[in-house]
Amino acid sequence: MDQKRHKSILYLSVYLTLWFIVNSGNAHALTFHGFAEGAYGKRFEDDTTSHDDYNLMEGRIQLRGAYAPDIADDLEPELVFKGDLIYDRYQELTRGNLREGYLSLTPHDMIDLKIGRQVLTWGTGDLLFINDLFPKDYVSFFIGRDDEYLKLPSDALKASIFFNRVSADIVLLPEFEPNNSISGKRLSYYNPSFNSIVGEEGVMAVDEPERGSEIREKAARIYGTIGRTEAALYYFDGFYKNPLGVDSVTSNAYYPELTVLGFSLRGPLAGGIANLEAGYYDSTEDRHGDNNRVENSAIKAFAGFEKDLGSDLKAGIQYQYEHMLDYDEFIAAGGPANRDEDRHQWTLRLNKLAMNQNLTLGFFAFYAPYDKDYHLRPKVSYKFTDNLSATLGANIFQGEKDYTFFGQLTRNDNIYFRVRYNF
Amino acid sequence: MRKPILLLLLILATPSLSLALTADEIIDKSNLAYYYAANDGKARAKMYIKDSRGRERYREMTILRKDIKDGGKQNFYIYFHEPADVSKMVFMVWKQAEGDDDRWLYLPAIDLVKRIATSDKRSSFAGGVFTYEDVSGRRTGDDTHTLLRDEKFAGKDAYVIKNVPKDAALVEFDHYISWIDKETFLPIKGEYYNDKGKLYRTIEVEKTAVIDGYPTSIKGVGKNLDTGLTTTIEFVDVKYNVGLKEKIFQERYLRKAPREVEK
Repeated sequence: MDQKRHKSILYLSVYLTLWFIVNSGNAHALTFHGFAEGAYGKRFEDDTTSHDDYNLMEGRIQLRGAYAPDIADDLEPELVFKGDLIYDRYQELTRGNLREGYLSLTPHDMIDLKIGRQVLTWGTGDLLFINDLFPKDYVSFFIGRDDEYLKLPSDALKASIFFNRVSADIVLLPEFEPNNSISGKRLSYYNPSFNSIVGEEGVMAVDEPERGSEIREKAARIYGTIGRTEAALYYFDGFYKNPLGVDSVTSNAYYPELTVLGFSLRGPLAGGIANLEAGYYDSTEDRHGDNNRVENSAIKAFAGFEKDLGSDLKAGIQYQYEHMLDYDEFIAAGGPANRDEDRHQWTLRLNKLAMNQNLTLGFFAFYAPYDKDYHLRPKVSYKFTDNLSATLGANIFQGEKDYTFFGQLTRNDNIYFRVRYNF
Repeated sequence: MRKPILLLLLILATPSLSLALTADEIIDKSNLAYYYAANDGKARAKMYIKDSRGRERYREMTILRKDIKDGGKQNFYIYFHEPADVSKMVFMVWKQAEGDDDRWLYLPAIDLVKRIATSDKRSSFAGGVFTYEDVSGRRTGDDTHTLLRDEKFAGKDAYVIKNVPKDAALVEFDHYISWIDKETFLPIKGEYYNDKGKLYRTIEVEKTAVIDGYPTSIKGVGKNLDTGLTTTIEFVDVKYNVGLKEKIFQERYLRKAPREVEK
């Protein structure tokens, strides 16, 4: 973590320096925006996390800018910056978080390059991800930060090639950036070695991924349009984003190697938009599936449908299915008996705009019928002016069993409130 | 020998007869003049939204348009500059000759290209009085048009046309009346009536100019008489036949705005 923070500060200073150089020169191609935000999230249940009465209390200033210098015009260079400065009362520290800091170039009519820190997103899911294996921050997602913070930035080189009918993205990630997953510090969770829900007393020991100069992860996408349907093929070679392996020597959790092949389709259907996405997760450290310390290979798929119901009301529904490929071998090798071979999940989104679209009523639900657990995300936000907005929302978790995905989070119910001034 | 001369006379006489345009022809010409001028176009739009309590909102965007076929398929690319929270957001439409249009939204905060459902074209665009359909044009075949009269409106000779939707379930109005400038064929006023015959929405073109030889609406005002919401839209830096390439209207340029968008 420390190393990451130092790096962020380094990036921040590099870009601030750049900023002043740019500002002192010709600034006609410069855009500049940002916001200041205060956020508070209250918890309700006794727990053993770092602070049991709240899990969000922070002030944040985001600055973002883009500068297109007047040099090498045919390369269309652009420098893009986005950084957050956060005073986090929860962790009692002030930190910088560089979310974007990249150079964008168009060296050829058919090629775009993006070099540096960037937020990467692809795939067709609504808060569901199969082929998007770029890092995510589920802690932010569950404590009530803006949805933007579900996505973590990556340090990457992204090359995009555009032909008439088909395009391709190739992403090289020199450093492995895992998800910010639930650890017991801010959110309590189920730890199998305790066989119960734990907080700080059961923070999982995770081996940080190795860092080096070699390329750690690669991702690619080929996409195009068939009629009015968008089709894409995906490839990923890297690591599980959550620590789904246990090291046989240290007994610490770690991030096993992973290769994923997948596809997606998205297009108009019955007056709405339908999508289908699937992926084959090849757990390359456990090809036979008989290692109970490493996640099994799996097939994952989801299908979704979104429709505009009129009067600024939109509804979306998705169904996701995951299937472990060597379940019998996994159990025979001593895998936990409470693990199911299949996982089914539904999601529902409702979004309603009112009062000249200044009021947004949002609702999102995850529901796993066999795990008998769910997660509800109601949200109300209002724009008082073009600059000032407020959001009130909640994260509710419920489940019959401690060890299911949302069931483990039941003590973390929260209500949060955010006020933001955009400039 | 006489018959051919008679025929010739008849043929010569026909053009003057055809000067009396039908309502359908007027609406088609108006649609072409307003939504399909030149092969492509570019403008900076400034939108002022004011509610009944005088609270104002401001939107500023660059609009790029390319016609694939006059009166039929065309593409729109709308890049938001203001307000701050949506800056760099892009809204893209592939307007189809029939069936639902294709729409995408690009959310820069998470680099997400989202395809959006389009069945309700009558919902408000960016919170103002104008609907999505006002922005990209209503298909002329969706209404039955009747020429009511000719009259002078705002100092211009105008056709007055009544438009009744063929499928009333898809729209919030019962009918609307259009005033169309006889000289330029630009619509200069629209009045929307509900099923009780009450006028509830008006759209007026307040300023026009001839740009690159094309008569252009450069200021329009929409009013919702029920809610008191008004929306003024001004177009500046309007340019035609910019040479926009069709490839601009693809995912690539959602993620990276084309040069034609001056930030």
